[in-house]
Amino acid sequence: MTEFIQLLISGLATGSIYALAAIGFTLLWQASQTINFAQGEFVMLPAFFVLAGMHFLGLGFGPAILLALVASLLILGLTFKRVIIDPLLPHGVLPVVIATIALGILMKESVKQFYSAEAQPFPALFSERTITVLGAVVSVQDIAVLLISLSAVGLLQFFLTGTKTGRCMQATAQNPAVAEILGVNVKRMILYTFLINAALALLASVLISPIYLAKFNNGETLGLIAFIAAIVGGFNQIRGAIAGGLLIGVIDNLAAAYVSAQYRSAIPLILLIIIILIRPQGLLGKAEGRTV
Amino acid sequence: MLELKDIFGGYGKMTILNGTSFKIDRGTITTVIGPNGAGKSTVFKAIFGLLRIRSGQILLDGTNVTSNTPARMLSHGVSYVPQGRNLFPMLSVRHNLEIGGISSPDQAKIRRRIDAVMDQFPILREKADSQAITLSGGQQKQLEIARALLLEPRLILIDEPSIGLSPQMINETFRTLIRLRDEGVTILMVEQNAKAALAMSDYGLVLEQGRARMYDKADKLLHDPRVGQLFLGAHLEEEA
Repeated sequence: MTEFIQLLISGLATGSIYALAAIGFTLLWQASQTINFAQGEFVMLPAFFVLAGMHFLGLGFGPAILLALVASLLILGLTFKRVIIDPLLPHGVLPVVIATIALGILMKESVKQFYSAEAQPFPALFSERTITVLGAVVSVQDIAVLLISLSAVGLLQFFLTGTKTGRCMQATAQNPAVAEILGVNVKRMILYTFLINAALALLASVLISPIYLAKFNNGETLGLIAFIAAIVGGFNQIRGAIAGGLLIGVIDNLAAAYVSAQYRSAIPLILLIIIILIRPQGLLGKAEGRTV
Repeated sequence: MLELKDIFGGYGKMTILNGTSFKIDRGTITTVIGPNGAGKSTVFKAIFGLLRIRSGQILLDGTNVTSNTPARMLSHGVSYVPQGRNLFPMLSVRHNLEIGGISSPDQAKIRRRIDAVMDQFPILREKADSQAITLSGGQQKQLEIARALLLEPRLILIDEPSIGLSPQMINETFRTLIRLRDEGVTILMVEQNAKAALAMSDYGLVLEQGRARMYDKADKLLHDPRVGQLFLGAHLEEEA
């Protein structure tokens, strides 16, 4: 039982990071019908912004994170939207999919070429101490990661439902044509969505890199799992992305311990297939109609 | 109150409005009728700034509002209720109303207006915290109209308000529009249900191939054999 609790908490911690990346998929899809296949690399890159700030500019860890936040907002938010999404989206979803796959490769290879192909140690945000919860030994880092991720999600939910700007973003996601007719600045709301996605990617990056180290190809697995989490939970629901992320984190951990460590990476894919077969809109998603 | 002068416009290379010209008076209901493809909805989009016109002029109380943005048209006191379902289904009734007033610089006033329109539409107060998707079709239409009233518009453009509604709900919606007209709001409406719409309107306007072919008192149009002829698919003879 104690081992189960230990695995559960550590699975929830990893799953909460998947959830942050999965929410990015959901937000961009809702706001602009964009599927960003570079999302994994969006989570990989900010860790290197932090490391570059520390190693090349001599900044402390805190200021380097602030620098990475600014760089993420500018590059992964503003520039990504203006340079790639805005010109391509009028031509349909497929060009965006292809462009974001290419962008992911570009980001990955650029980090490999210009920074390092080796995994880089990343400063830990929290003590590596352990504490005992219900008899199980749990790392402080896992609990902190879980709390920070869930707090970020809670803040995001509060922003979206509890503020006028958040509700305008929801209105834009639900019916952009009518939102414009009512005077909502639709373009600005979509930009906010991209900026939020960039900030969430930075947070996920800073939380996951001390655990898995910063490496140019971290985005491959992370992007795939976050995409699966978004589909499993429901691609058009933020709470679905959260549920999907946490579920996959926990199942992955439990499967590695109780089924087979060798086949752990197959488990999310099996879950994906089952969900698509029995509930294509995802666990908490809503079926979407399309007019042709 | 509203005057269109020789408007040309359309989508891409396709011209829909072929020199549309008409004038409507303040405090009246004018119904625009015409066959499919006549440009009825397009003319609304042109007035509200959703369609950039190629030439012509749109005057609102003498002010040139040609090709203004929707936000500018709202500030001029024009609201637009497009065809179909126009709500934010997952937001509450209250938040749908709130977004109707988002362009106003005076948000305290908007909060008072939300209370006022809820007095006008009691069902909306009752369901203020329910998601809009849970309302019936008629209630959703009432919410759309209530939302359009938040900015106290002088002119409401309403496109096919009866679509998808039961006969009882259509009557209810038309009664609401008459009440608004009596309060001084000018209403320009597109409606497929031409008979019922003309019966409750002050004036009627017949559009054909992007041109205003007839404009008269609604009851006169209602009994004009040429209107029936038009709806049977025939073209009007060129008037001398």
